[in-house]
Amino acid sequence: MHLDRGFWTATAVIAILALAAIAWWIVAPIQSLMPEAVDRAAQIDLLFRFLAASGTALLAIVLGYLIYFVARYRRRPDQAEDAIGLQIHDHHKLEFWWTLLPTLFIVVLAIISVKLFLEIEPVNAQGNTLVVEGLGHQWFYTFRYPGIHGEVKEMHLPAGQPVTLHVSSYDVIHSFWIPDMRLKVDMVPGLINTFTFTPTRIGRYELLCTEFCGTLHGDMRSGTSNDPAYVYIDPPDKYKAWYDSMQKANANASDAVQVASAGAVNLSGGNPAAGKALFVQKCSACHALAPFDQKVVGPGLKGVLHDPAHPNLVNGEKATPDDVAKILQNGFTGPMGTMPNQTANALTDKDIANLVAFLDSLK
Amino acid sequence: MAVAAVHSGGIADHIHPEPQGFIRRYVFSLDHKIIGIQYIITSGIFLFLAGALAEMMRVQLMKANGGFMTPDTFNQVFTMHGSTMVWFMIIPLMTGGFGNLVMPIQIGARDVAFPWLNMIAFWIFPVAGLMLYASFLMGAPAAGWTEYPPMSLQGQAGTSMWCAAVFLVGVGSTMTGINFLVTILKMRAPGMTFTRMPLFVWGQFVTAPLLMIATTALGAALAALFIQREFGVPFFDPTKGGSPLLWQHMFWFYSHPAVYIMILPAFGILSEVIPTFARKPIFGYKMIAFSSCAIAILGFMVWAHHMFTSGMAPALQLPFMVLTMLIAIPTGVKIFSWTTTLFGGVLKFSTAMLYAVGFIALFTIGGVTGVFLAAVPFDLHAHGTYFIVAHFHYVIAGGSVMGALAGLYFWYPKMTGRLMDERLGKWSFWLYMIGMNGTFLPMHWLGLWGMPRRIAVYDPQFQTWNQIESAFSFVMTASIILTVINALVSMKYGKRSGPNPWGARTLEWMIPSPMPYYNFKHIPSVFSTPYDFGEPLPYRGLEEELTPTPPPVAAAH
Repeated sequence: MHLDRGFWTATAVIAILALAAIAWWIVAPIQSLMPEAVDRAAQIDLLFRFLAASGTALLAIVLGYLIYFVARYRRRPDQAEDAIGLQIHDHHKLEFWWTLLPTLFIVVLAIISVKLFLEIEPVNAQGNTLVVEGLGHQWFYTFRYPGIHGEVKEMHLPAGQPVTLHVSSYDVIHSFWIPDMRLKVDMVPGLINTFTFTPTRIGRYELLCTEFCGTLHGDMRSGTSNDPAYVYIDPPDKYKAWYDSMQKANANASDAVQVASAGAVNLSGGNPAAGKALFVQKCSACHALAPFDQKVVGPGLKGVLHDPAHPNLVNGEKATPDDVAKILQNGFTGPMGTMPNQTANALTDKDIANLVAFLDSLK
Repeated sequence: MAVAAVHSGGIADHIHPEPQGFIRRYVFSLDHKIIGIQYIITSGIFLFLAGALAEMMRVQLMKANGGFMTPDTFNQVFTMHGSTMVWFMIIPLMTGGFGNLVMPIQIGARDVAFPWLNMIAFWIFPVAGLMLYASFLMGAPAAGWTEYPPMSLQGQAGTSMWCAAVFLVGVGSTMTGINFLVTILKMRAPGMTFTRMPLFVWGQFVTAPLLMIATTALGAALAALFIQREFGVPFFDPTKGGSPLLWQHMFWFYSHPAVYIMILPAFGILSEVIPTFARKPIFGYKMIAFSSCAIAILGFMVWAHHMFTSGMAPALQLPFMVLTMLIAIPTGVKIFSWTTTLFGGVLKFSTAMLYAVGFIALFTIGGVTGVFLAAVPFDLHAHGTYFIVAHFHYVIAGGSVMGALAGLYFWYPKMTGRLMDERLGKWSFWLYMIGMNGTFLPMHWLGLWGMPRRIAVYDPQFQTWNQIESAFSFVMTASIILTVINALVSMKYGKRSGPNPWGARTLEWMIPSPMPYYNFKHIPSVFSTPYDFGEPLPYRGLEEELTPTPPPVAAAH
């Protein structure tokens, strides 16, 4: 194969273009276009720079050679009508390298992506984590905060404090996207999806839906008449002031959880072993004996009374054995569906005592 | 036994007479070439309809607050655009259309294995298309071509019609898959080994199992959606124990392989056009063929990369991410091989070649953004935005459609005996390149900046870019109209082509144009690959194909 001077000149030009593309993506001012509002945004942008740099460089190489070959090897007027090109079928060394190099690139990319993926994976809430629930409606969002009754329309987050966000939907699939936070998760009815992140940059952010959800899907966006609410990252004291005012304003709002009306069950003398057998028989179809986010139909129940990752009740208190007993008595209706009540599950008061004793025994 | 003259004990060297009468010849024809042309014309009509819907969307999006259509109409329009383009345009065109027209001749057969099945598979397609468009009368589907429940459960009656129409067209696809697979496995001419098959046949060969296997999953999903909508069985209703994610898994188990159903035959077309106009053997024949197989197999193992934000288990996301990235390797091998085929060639830029080279450029862009999206952390930002719209239009409109246009300009003489006008063709190519890039390139940054897809109104700060896109989209439409006019006018006024206007070497060019009913007077024998320009042709037994000798017609049974 004869590689002439023109080929090497073209190769040099292409190499310069590819390097220029890489350099551009290293310095590209992503942050001035789109602020990085949470801790993970910077890492995701770094991955994007890596992808964009390598992608543009590859594009420069393919398009560069394509254009060079097209210009260099087009049929010249002096060539015979039946002229043929070089009869090359294969070049094993070349094919080996252009299979191996992309493979190595993919390995590097996979390692980077997996590492970042594991870093941004939801982790169990720690002691100071704020747990917020986001709920999708046609065509707006609402939020539930521990200690605030009912649902609020705006999302406020304190800067610097880790946040665990649980999302679900009342009707169809929505999605929760804050472009400046590089955060997106679908809100699927019947499913609780979880995200963890730490807000870092104080400001007002747009929240919008990217999963098609019906007539006003395009209006499910901060600042529209349908959904005027924005997401705010506040300094901690400003957040506290907002939280207190919402708590007061919503003091009489009703919660999705139906609080017991029947008389309380006597929980003394519950037998954990009997409760365990009953749990396997009656509860395990929907609940796993695993942390809260390991959902089957309902949430995982391991450590429901002890694990800090388990969300607090809406009044901000830890769940007590009496609260669990009330849910077993009355059933539960939340955005993700309905758990049958005591009658439907054919549970005696003694059964409830045994189940609560069993759940209490799981630390 | 109708046309395919395979009798027990080998290929009988006689053929049955051509049926007489308009209906048997041109309507309910058993001839693979007529059926191929029927597919091409019908998908052309659907391209026109879906293109008109696309332009309606672009008009709506010229203003941030819309106003051209109500949001509900807009939702119906983009749903029908996507459904039509995927199931009623590209897939039938690439498999039923070009596959039927060329593949049996390229393997040296007189027809496909099951001509009756072929005819039925075709006629299902326009009927299903009529059903799809009839859904406008009862409230068209409006949840996107993906029709995710529970959204699709809220849809009007037309959504059930949509299920039935897509189910039917899927049945036709499955039939075509079975038919092509058997044809390629059993009906190759003597000496046509797998490593001597033209690469277009390889493209159809790996597409056929995809059609057969993946489409059944789609059928099951559509049946379940239909049953839930009409009879209330809660497959996808979480309040009654169903799961909305079940649909997504079943749908994408089909729809990801469907992407390869759309693109693998286009890869095949490219692998025919490029060597022909470069006067060179295709570079790395075996690598191109094997990489198609690798893509088809990997294509079944990556469906959940459409669902990274849906809340499926993290442990599942990682393998789907890595497998998706792996597809870049065989795809890269193809792109490098085509580019290298140009090296040292004597390139003749007919319209078909222009479209083929344009394909390499645009498909590479779509492929690169595909690797971006495979990386889960980036996908969590880009999912559901215009970045996705840009990505798949570069793959489909820049890849499949350009491949189809290359195929149309390339094989048009074999259908009609005439050439399409090259000057109009070149205009159409440049208009397409300009229009396509102007329409879809800005969508990349719009998506990353925060413009979700499938919205009838949007943030006013994006209005200028949207107006630019709309303007360029009209250029793209003009290009398609030019090609359609070219095809219609050339049918009557085009230059006569003769049997082999491009000096190509595969078997379809060895017989007269338009191609005779019986394809070959005598089935040829094959001795080598078809890409060795400058060597004698690797066929024997074709001496009488271009002479006026009458074919050995058997007495009618």
